[in-house]
Amino acid sequence: MRKGKFWKTESALAFFFLLPACAFLLLFMFYPIAYVILMSFFRVNKLGDLVNFSGLANFRFMFDRPEFWQIIVRSCVWTASAVAVKTGIGLVIALLLNVDFRGRKIARGLVIIPWASSVPISAMIWQWTYNNDFGLLNHTLRTLRIFGEPPIWLAEPRSAFLANLWVDIWCGIPFMALVFLAGLQAIPQELYEAAEVDGATPFAKFRFVTLPLLSNVLTVATLLSILWTFNDFNVIYVLTGGGPGTSTDILITYIYKYAFQYLRFGPAAAMAVITFAILLTVSILYARSYFKGGTVY
Amino acid sequence: MKRWIVGWSVLLAVVFVLSFGAFAQKKVSILWMEYDGLTPDYALNLEKAFEEAHPGVDLEIISTPWDLGHDRLISLVAGGRPPDLAVIGTRWLLELLDMGVVEPIEKWVSKELLDNIDPALMEGKIKGVLYGLPVAAGTRLMYYRSDIIDKAPETFEEMLEIAKKIHKPEEKFYAVGMSGKKYVELTEYAYYLFGNGGYFFEILPDGSYGKCTVNDEAGVGALAFMNDLVNKYKVTQPGVTAYRRDELQDLFIAGNLGIFLSGGFTAALLEQRGVTFKWDVAPMPHFEGKPQSTIIITDSIVLFKDSQAKEEAGKFLDFFYSDPWRLQFDKLVGFPPVTKSLANDPFFQKPVYQVMIQQIPNAKGWPLIPEWPECNDIIWDNIVATFLGEKDPKTAMDDAAREIDALRGM
Repeated sequence: MRKGKFWKTESALAFFFLLPACAFLLLFMFYPIAYVILMSFFRVNKLGDLVNFSGLANFRFMFDRPEFWQIIVRSCVWTASAVAVKTGIGLVIALLLNVDFRGRKIARGLVIIPWASSVPISAMIWQWTYNNDFGLLNHTLRTLRIFGEPPIWLAEPRSAFLANLWVDIWCGIPFMALVFLAGLQAIPQELYEAAEVDGATPFAKFRFVTLPLLSNVLTVATLLSILWTFNDFNVIYVLTGGGPGTSTDILITYIYKYAFQYLRFGPAAAMAVITFAILLTVSILYARSYFKGGTVY
Repeated sequence: MKRWIVGWSVLLAVVFVLSFGAFAQKKVSILWMEYDGLTPDYALNLEKAFEEAHPGVDLEIISTPWDLGHDRLISLVAGGRPPDLAVIGTRWLLELLDMGVVEPIEKWVSKELLDNIDPALMEGKIKGVLYGLPVAAGTRLMYYRSDIIDKAPETFEEMLEIAKKIHKPEEKFYAVGMSGKKYVELTEYAYYLFGNGGYFFEILPDGSYGKCTVNDEAGVGALAFMNDLVNKYKVTQPGVTAYRRDELQDLFIAGNLGIFLSGGFTAALLEQRGVTFKWDVAPMPHFEGKPQSTIIITDSIVLFKDSQAKEEAGKFLDFFYSDPWRLQFDKLVGFPPVTKSLANDPFFQKPVYQVMIQQIPNAKGWPLIPEWPECNDIIWDNIVATFLGEKDPKTAMDDAAREIDALRGM
């Protein structure tokens, strides 16, 4: 009788159906996270096995390295700049694609191409594009006489950083544009008509109708973009490998170097924990601001 | 009903027999490095031919670009799923031994195979135990455009004088190729360091490695000369820090470089791609008053302790080291043969092989220390800092030596 009741209770059944997903999460998400946190407090051998407790030694080792702090700052600059530009350009493209014009469907299809392509392949194409001798970019700049001698993009720290940044932005714009476009299409047309009756200028409509109603979408999209951009390994690894020197390394590429090139899993785990803490803080701040807003679309 | 039962029984029996056949096959996997010049067809044909000769073995060749090979292998090993065999740079062997994952290989291969390899090439023998068979070994040498340069320079000073004359950046023709972007190893610096009589570490009387010596006169002098080529005389391709060795090789093949320091694989590629200009090879230059020396690089095949198919892996090695397969391999990758039976093959009497062999007595290898990948990066980062004008050569090499000694607890 009790057994029958359990199966008939819808919520209990729902929990039962959730069990495989919970087991999956525990095994493939929480266990690795817990193990990495554990590794960060242990001396770890070259096979990734815990040897003995070392307290904060792995963290101290990283904190003592001047380039670690440079890399933390660079990771933040990288993320902030890339997300800001992706959001700006993404919003402009979304606004354009929201206007009814001939060929809009084709334009929407074209915009998605960078997002649909594999990131490593896109990065390899850009690597070729940036090549000084055979690359499309410098050839074009020389031909159009925009630059007498254009920069060798991947050779200098600053230009290499900007070159990496642009590829990350290029890959990320379509996602932002499409999410914003979906948000724009959810805004009731009546609000714009009412604003027009009130004599609102296009900018006023954007400022007082579009932006407020898009704010939740903006919050979610930028949060996701922050998480992805901070952890964007592919672009930098393929384009510059963190070079020249370590000038384009961000935390994620630096973690990779320590873990898989130097086999120092302890310091790598410490950096992974720091990354986790940074991103968790950002996520919590965003979640607070999101739920404070009240309206959820 | 009866027919139905018979039908199902036959079907099950067929499925059982087929699956038994599949399970009976032993799987051997090998992490295979993609040498320049080595075509994908070679690996496919080798796999097919071996499986035909050994029907009970399923061979899986996992091809990997050289510059990703180390990291991929380490990921597999650290993940507890190493391949049965792997082609490695012999300098990684100490690192793998430190991890305790490599199996002594001697007892798994035939005596004929072992006898057919020159003992001088057995760099994979550590403390008397053979862990790796040499798969490729060769010294690095100088390639130059013989249609532009009459006589190959013997010293780096002569090379500089020639470079000043032939450098024409406005025509996209650069006198000397210089690689400043990481690609597997910092061979570029080794050419100039060894040619200046230097080495990465002091060698202690017991043969072990002492303190880092890249900041001695030879080490700093080598870097200062490289930096002069790049920044003072500007006779290299511009933006050296953006070029990996393989990209530089493409530049030479495209006819944009006058002098390029590289390995035998470049000759193989130049021939495969049928370049129209004239080129030649010469021994690696050295600095005036210093003995000629270059780097010798050996790669090995190792067997992993966790392999469940050691016997079959051994059979594969015997097959791969047979003359027809080794001859094809050596021809494609451009290294001199490691097997005695191919030493006198007419193909290996060409100048490029003769120069590589002639340089062996004075050549030096990579240091065999487990921390080498990190030391390699430290030196390289400081070289790049010099090229970018962030450090002078002395400061750069002092910083590198200090950091390396600290890393090794010295």
